Amino acid sequence: MSTCSECKSFFSREDEQGKGDCVLRVVDPRQAYYKTRPVNPDGDASGCESFQKK
Amino acid sequence: MSAEPAKNDVSFQEHEEKQEWWWIAEKRRSKRLDYLRKAVWKKGALGGNYAPGIKVDLDGPKLFTDMWRFWKFDPVMMRRAKSLAHVLDNIPIFITDHSQIMGYWGSAPHTISWRVDGASMVNEELYNEPGVMPEPEEESLRKVAEINDYWAGQTAVDKLARILDPEDAVKFLSGAIGWGAPTSAYGYSGKNYEYFLKGERGFEDIIADIEKNIEEAEEKCVGTPGPDILPIYDRIQNWDAMITVLEAAIRFAKRYARLARTLAENFETDEKRREELLRVAETCERVPAKAPRNLQESFQLDHFVQILSRFEASEGAWPARPDYYHGPFYEKDVLVDKTLTEEEATDLVGEFMIRVYEVGGFGPRWAREGMQGITGTWVWTIGGVKPDGSDACNALTTAFLRTSRLIRVSNPTFAFRWHPKVKDEVMRECFECIRHGLGYPSFRNDPILVANCMNWHGHPIEEARTWVHQACMSPCPTTKHGVQPFRMASATANCSKMVEYALHNGYDHVVGMQMGPLTGDARTFTDFEQLFEAWTRQMQWLLSLLVRTVNLGRYKDPEFYGRPFLSGITERAVESGLDAVSPVGERGNCWITAFTWVENVDSLAAVKKLVFDDKKYTMEQLINALESNWDGCEQMRLDFVNKAPKWGNDDDYVDDIMLRCLRTMAIHSRVMRCTSNNTWPAAPQNVSGNIHYSSVVGALPNGRRLGDALYDGGISPGPGLDKKGPTAVLKSCGKIDHVSDGRAFLLNQRLSPTQMAGEKGYQLWRAYMRTWADLGLDHIQFNMVSDKTLRAAQRDPEKYQEVIVRVAGYSAHFVDISRKTQDNIIQRTVHGL
Ligand code: SF4
Repeated sequence: MSTCSECKSFFSREDEQGKGDCVLRVVDPRQAYYKTRPVNPDGDASGCESFQKK
Repeated sequence: MSAEPAKNDVSFQEHEEKQEWWWIAEKRRSKRLDYLRKAVWKKGALGGNYAPGIKVDLDGPKLFTDMWRFWKFDPVMMRRAKSLAHVLDNIPIFITDHSQIMGYWGSAPHTISWRVDGASMVNEELYNEPGVMPEPEEESLRKVAEINDYWAGQTAVDKLARILDPEDAVKFLSGAIGWGAPTSAYGYSGKNYEYFLKGERGFEDIIADIEKNIEEAEEKCVGTPGPDILPIYDRIQNWDAMITVLEAAIRFAKRYARLARTLAENFETDEKRREELLRVAETCERVPAKAPRNLQESFQLDHFVQILSRFEASEGAWPARPDYYHGPFYEKDVLVDKTLTEEEATDLVGEFMIRVYEVGGFGPRWAREGMQGITGTWVWTIGGVKPDGSDACNALTTAFLRTSRLIRVSNPTFAFRWHPKVKDEVMRECFECIRHGLGYPSFRNDPILVANCMNWHGHPIEEARTWVHQACMSPCPTTKHGVQPFRMASATANCSKMVEYALHNGYDHVVGMQMGPLTGDARTFTDFEQLFEAWTRQMQWLLSLLVRTVNLGRYKDPEFYGRPFLSGITERAVESGLDAVSPVGERGNCWITAFTWVENVDSLAAVKKLVFDDKKYTMEQLINALESNWDGCEQMRLDFVNKAPKWGNDDDYVDDIMLRCLRTMAIHSRVMRCTSNNTWPAAPQNVSGNIHYSSVVGALPNGRRLGDALYDGGISPGPGLDKKGPTAVLKSCGKIDHVSDGRAFLLNQRLSPTQMAGEKGYQLWRAYMRTWADLGLDHIQFNMVSDKTLRAAQRDPEKYQEVIVRVAGYSAHFVDISRKTQDNIIQRTVHGL
């Protein structure tokens, strides 16, 4: 099973061990932006359409 | 991205001649501002419906509800603090390309937030609202249904509805006499800017103060037993809740810092943007934790506070005084230290406004119709005086005015506190904004309004001088005891019902219900005094019902809702450990927003003239005509329109009735008391309530039929009824005592763009403004867009996206308001000065 920590979009937090952020690029009809949300490094990535192996 | 103008190759002269200011703005603003301005997903409903692509945010409501369920044994303040902290820690956040100011109330730029715990009625409306559910729609509907099921019966309004007097509740909920919700879940939160926005403290300092208070309180709790220590236990819980949410706020900001740093280090290839992102990271690491040191940090602190407040409650207003609080940083960075060029500062100023323009929450249909094209009445106060009475205008005042012409947003708008010491260069900048058709700034007569603050609520002069618009019109100080941290919009009266009920013995023919008191069959009235007595009793009944409801809502709010974040930024709450919404320590600053007011005056004058003085018609004939909505009585209706004096023509016959109505209402405003035992003055104005209520107010003796738009302003004459020119309008309005007859009085005027062109136009306008000031009016605002342009925008809306008009207490893009409101604006008399 792939996990978030193996994904290109995953960034672990320097100051908080065992925690990480998923950072994704989004382009919508009006603007482009980067969005982030907290994810668990061991989170199951198998169902994630945005998963990209590091 | 460079702060250089986007394009500079087209002749501006041609556009200037045609007064196509929006094209000029687009060409003059920097590439960054052009990108950010166009990137905004407009959240204001277009005539009442959300624009395609706007979706409700379900992340925040789900996170909040999950934690609220989990912490079910906590008291309300702490439960909200923990739930809010969970949202702030987990909701997706984003950084838009080229942006430098962070923070949005939602999980993506196209989302509108939804306050789940405010009112079940609103939740049900959301479930049934077409087009706003994120894809896959079925799954979203299931989520919404689940959330709604949980909150049904336990939202703030549900709780209040259970204890309201049943008759009051039914009449209030009929929608005929007022609007709004008596809860701090939706409302206008004043901010204690003097406490947290003077560059003196950050949230860590406030937390340290609270910890000290807790320590002292805990010591008392292990001391001598007695009744005095009993309230302390609750206060400690409240203080803990404030700390919980302030700490979460700091973490929320640090999430932006982390994202900006990640982008700078891993994604960004452009060196300049990388530097910007690192500056963003440094800014968000600094504020709100610590006091700001420069303009960007000061703006960022302010914006975080506003966004965080909205995560806590669906705030419908944006009281602010940005030039006053951020001005010292602007002057230091741009003029003294020169760490920012003027162009770079313009980018920050413009983005500071754009970040506000993009904010919006889901609102019920009545609110969307009442405030077409915008998501709240976000009137920013600029200008004015300092507490010592000296001129408060600074370099940032003019920077805001200049920048507003470049970005042309309809929210926020500015209201300028005019006073005799304002320099001509500042007045010129204000005039340029009006000439460019923004509809703002509106003008507020500062000496009059400071006196008004002192007269109605007893604010000391130094505190009164800090005033900001708490919503569209009403001033509120930003000081410890002067600030009103919460004002419920439901003290908003549909005043035309006063005269309507006086004529129909309290019966409402539109909603089919006995609403007001039985004041007698008007067919039997034999003189004007009987009618006026009936009007007085209906006025007293209507206002008292609304005020009772709001007072109760305010009193119970700390129990039913709870505002830990607002409390954490309010000095007296930090000091006392009480919810900021608690009236303890507040001087009181309530007001009644008086919608659809002038119809009372013109209607009473028409009855007096044509029935009692001229005896041309009988009361029997009049009531029959009104009951049939003037059907079959067109000649009679035209007599009531044309042969009775109308407000706004310097005619004492009708103007005296205006004064008598206002002064009778002012007596009642002093009889009714707020939760701080202070007064309830009225502020006649509409947002677009004149359109919303057009299908709610029945036929009136001013000749109006059910369905016709009501008058647009608080004391503006009816469209086309001011036949004696603009100075006569000012003279009529100048008969009102703007200090003691009410809280504030909105006056809309339309000026001819052709007449206002060039230096001559400015001088004409300045002379007119001097008359306005001399006559002691507290407010005036202008539309200066030609009929030709407005008609062209109706035909071809795509080409005129940035044409702005002043609707009432706010501005909107012309293309975003309903056809009926558009026509109503075009019908307003264009005055030649
Ligand atoms: S959620 Fe998906 S895209 Fe994000 S880090 Fe995990 S696997 Fe990658």
